Amino acid sequence: MTVLFFFLSLLSLVCASLSSPSAPSDYHERLDLQPLPQSSLLASFNFRSNTSQESFEQRHFRYFPRALGQILQHAHTKELHLRFTTGRWDAESWGPRPWNGSKEGGTGVELWAWIDAVDDERAFAKWITLTQSLSGLFCASMNFVDSTRTTRPVVSFDPAEDHSPASSLHLLHGTLPGEVVCTENLTPFLKLLPCKGKAGISSLFDGHKLFDASWQSMSVDVRPICPEQGECLVQIEQTVDMVLDIDRSKRPRDNPIPRPVPNDQLACDASKPYHSDDTCYPLENTLEKGWSLAEVFGRSLNGVCPLTEGNPETVCLRVPNERRVDIPPEVTETRQADGYTRCFALHPSTPFDLSIPEQEVHSQVPLKERSLHAERTIVGHGQERGGMRIIFNNPSETSPVEFIYFETLPWFLRPFVHTLQATITGHDGVRRQVPSSQIVKETFYRPAIDRKRGTQLELTLSVPAASTVTLTYDFEKAILRYTEYPPDANRGFNVAPAVIRLNPQDNESSPIYIRTTSLLLPLPTPDFSMPYNVIILTSTVIALAFGNIFNLLVRRFVSKEEAAALMAQTLKGRLLGKIVALRDRIRGKTSKTE
Amino acid sequence: MPVDRRKALVFGAALALRLVLLLLFPSLPDLLTGRVEVSTPVNSFKRLQEGLFLYTRNISPYDGGVFHQAPILLPLFSLLPNSRDFPLPTAVFYSLIDLVNANALITISDSGQSVSSRLYSALRKDIRWDGASIAAWFLFNPFTIATCLGRPTSVLTTSGILYAVSNAVCGNSFNAMLALGFASYLSIYPALLFIPLVILCYDIQVQKAKTPSSATLFALKHFGILLASVAGLLGISALIIGDFGEFVSATYGFQLLVPDLTPNIGLWWYFFIEIFDSFREFFLGVFWLHLAGYVGGLTVRLRQQPLFIITSLLAFSPSSSHTRLMTAVMRYTFFASSALLYATLLGPAFYHLWIYAGSGNANFFYAITLVWSLGLSILLADTIFAALREEWELENPEMRGKDVRQV
Repeated sequence: MTVLFFFLSLLSLVCASLSSPSAPSDYHERLDLQPLPQSSLLASFNFRSNTSQESFEQRHFRYFPRALGQILQHAHTKELHLRFTTGRWDAESWGPRPWNGSKEGGTGVELWAWIDAVDDERAFAKWITLTQSLSGLFCASMNFVDSTRTTRPVVSFDPAEDHSPASSLHLLHGTLPGEVVCTENLTPFLKLLPCKGKAGISSLFDGHKLFDASWQSMSVDVRPICPEQGECLVQIEQTVDMVLDIDRSKRPRDNPIPRPVPNDQLACDASKPYHSDDTCYPLENTLEKGWSLAEVFGRSLNGVCPLTEGNPETVCLRVPNERRVDIPPEVTETRQADGYTRCFALHPSTPFDLSIPEQEVHSQVPLKERSLHAERTIVGHGQERGGMRIIFNNPSETSPVEFIYFETLPWFLRPFVHTLQATITGHDGVRRQVPSSQIVKETFYRPAIDRKRGTQLELTLSVPAASTVTLTYDFEKAILRYTEYPPDANRGFNVAPAVIRLNPQDNESSPIYIRTTSLLLPLPTPDFSMPYNVIILTSTVIALAFGNIFNLLVRRFVSKEEAAALMAQTLKGRLLGKIVALRDRIRGKTSKTE
Repeated sequence: MPVDRRKALVFGAALALRLVLLLLFPSLPDLLTGRVEVSTPVNSFKRLQEGLFLYTRNISPYDGGVFHQAPILLPLFSLLPNSRDFPLPTAVFYSLIDLVNANALITISDSGQSVSSRLYSALRKDIRWDGASIAAWFLFNPFTIATCLGRPTSVLTTSGILYAVSNAVCGNSFNAMLALGFASYLSIYPALLFIPLVILCYDIQVQKAKTPSSATLFALKHFGILLASVAGLLGISALIIGDFGEFVSATYGFQLLVPDLTPNIGLWWYFFIEIFDSFREFFLGVFWLHLAGYVGGLTVRLRQQPLFIITSLLAFSPSSSHTRLMTAVMRYTFFASSALLYATLLGPAFYHLWIYAGSGNANFFYAITLVWSLGLSILLADTIFAALREEWELENPEMRGKDVRQV
């Protein structure tokens, strides 16, 4: 009996130990839809799954993608952030960014990671391993993130709080501003998801629509999380945010050319004096465009992913409560107290579509006030030198805004920090030159080294209330060796966007990130067609100089007569003499016959 | 000491001209600083400013790709006020350096070493300018004025060389070696002048002392002085910067390996842009060997005229700030060289077409640098021919004015 009891207890112990690692792993997904001004639609997809630290280390993966997990383990990466972004977020009309910009990257590919290594050199070796592997996994050119595109930001990014205290972490950051993000990056991204785009909100992804968006950003974040109770987890969060132009997305794929509105459908302002049958002053459309998921995304949503745990409310829509939204009858709708958000509980493997018919608009979801507007441009003309101009505008009437400005420049753009100047424009619209130390509180600058390292500049700035600060500095453009130019050399070189981090006023919330647009830098180009000609011509001139001078140095002077005498003794002279004699003889003969 | 009135007049006028130019055209120095004809990556004033900025903020200026000049310039120039806000002190400083250089030229000229030295006495002694005219030719040369306003740091190298020569002709060989050490420390190639300079010093010493000491011992002793002065300066630099290896690779390594291919009027930049990667090191070696090769040849053949060797060697140095030095010391060939004039006029135009207008490509400016180099080499060869002919006529007085051939 005791033996049996012992055996049973052992069995239960084994069962408990087997089941415990999988207990904390779970999977959530959520889609937030929000119509934005100018008939745009913001769709934020979020997928989150956990696995316990222990099962992660034992390579026991359930929801966590095995391919990515093995890469992270191999490269000793404790925290990873990967961004694929195209397009431009129009902050003027769309307001602040989703997730406060924390799930967004600069145009192209941006990648930063905390790597556990004893020293910087080994951390960099691991980083190269990481970028090479991710490059293969995501079909992106991340293998081009070399030492010139890698920086080590000091204050711009913070690691997650729950890292093991024993590890010595190194932050490395790389950007590829010229990378074109497209479908080949979406497919591996979807493969990391448990439902792999077959069910749940990820079934909406269609490369044609996603990369046709006005702005889109895909992100992958892996970070450790240690809850108050229980063991530590490794969390992977994938998001896709995109702003679709509703009109553009609704066009059928086989007939994508926009057509003018037919005459009889035009709403004309009949009060204008010139209004007639053939002239029309079009009225602004007061009706909000109708749309449905199937129209905008080109597919319908294939139910909820069966692996989702807990709350089945995976799709949420932010429109005013009085707006009519048509949903299938079996789907339950819950409205939240804020008066704008409604969420829908979906059933597994039941197609779901929501549609908003065209209707009169009375109210809009209020957009939050932006805390900072930033713009960065290259000024100057010519291919020899130029200047960078960064404009920060603080719209707040009362409080100054403090933030960190971080930029990486390629080595062939050589900035002159001593030319950094600040001007400030206040309410009165008058530009005043101020000492830059008044605006720039702290500077971290690591200059570039040719072909080895890019420039890294981190500034802590403070912009007073209701004013615009313009920072400028000069730079010089290097000329490269002809093999270092890309095939489209005259297009210019991409300069990575600057990253701006606004520290929150209260210490509770997370920082806000803003990224400027990427820049195009034209460099002077040599003539690619004539390396041989240049080598030959330069060598000729040098040989001429050398030959000329050494000819003078090694020969001796003689008078003209002596020269003739000396000439006669050489083989050449004797030959010439024979020829002359022969010529004279022939001449003599001909003269005789005459 | 009686003040030479002509000299004072020339110096005063030169200084006034520079200051007037600065006051009338306040943007001229910055414009000239940006010109590729004046500034190269190793002597650019703007890069010096950047280095100074980093240095005064305790960032190593050599841990970056911008600053490649000698460390001793940093504390020196940090004494001057910021040139953006106060351009005048810097301009006065550079004008004074010009005057100092002119003064050294006067000393060289007045010593008469160029026409009569220990082993040689020119036939055409009377065809020669006095010191003040040479100073005027130097100070009012447009190249010199452009260089002075463009403020490249290579004028300090020029001063070092000129002072080395002027001390040598006065028999002050110790100071000559110190000055040459300073010039070699600022940029490497003045070290090539060591051999002719030591010959010059030896000749002067023999002329004066009448009891010639051993030539080998003399050369070794002076080589020691040169090494000691360079080592001393390097030691001071190490004290200023701290990391010895870092600044050596950023300054001398940079000058030797030419990683920065910013266009200048020399031949190297375009060649090393277009050369195939596998041949880069080989041709770097060939080019440096080519430069060093002239020292031996000229020294052996023109043993009797060491001052002339120095003058000829300076012509090989890479930018216009040295060309103007050569045109100043040169006396035999006074021909206005049309090739040089052509290049001077068309060079900036073609550079503009390439970089700014976009209607020309790099070959336009490259062609001009070819013409410039060709013109310089012809001019130089002419000078050497003249010197050799003069020497030969001295040996064969009966051949004066007759046609000659070289065999």
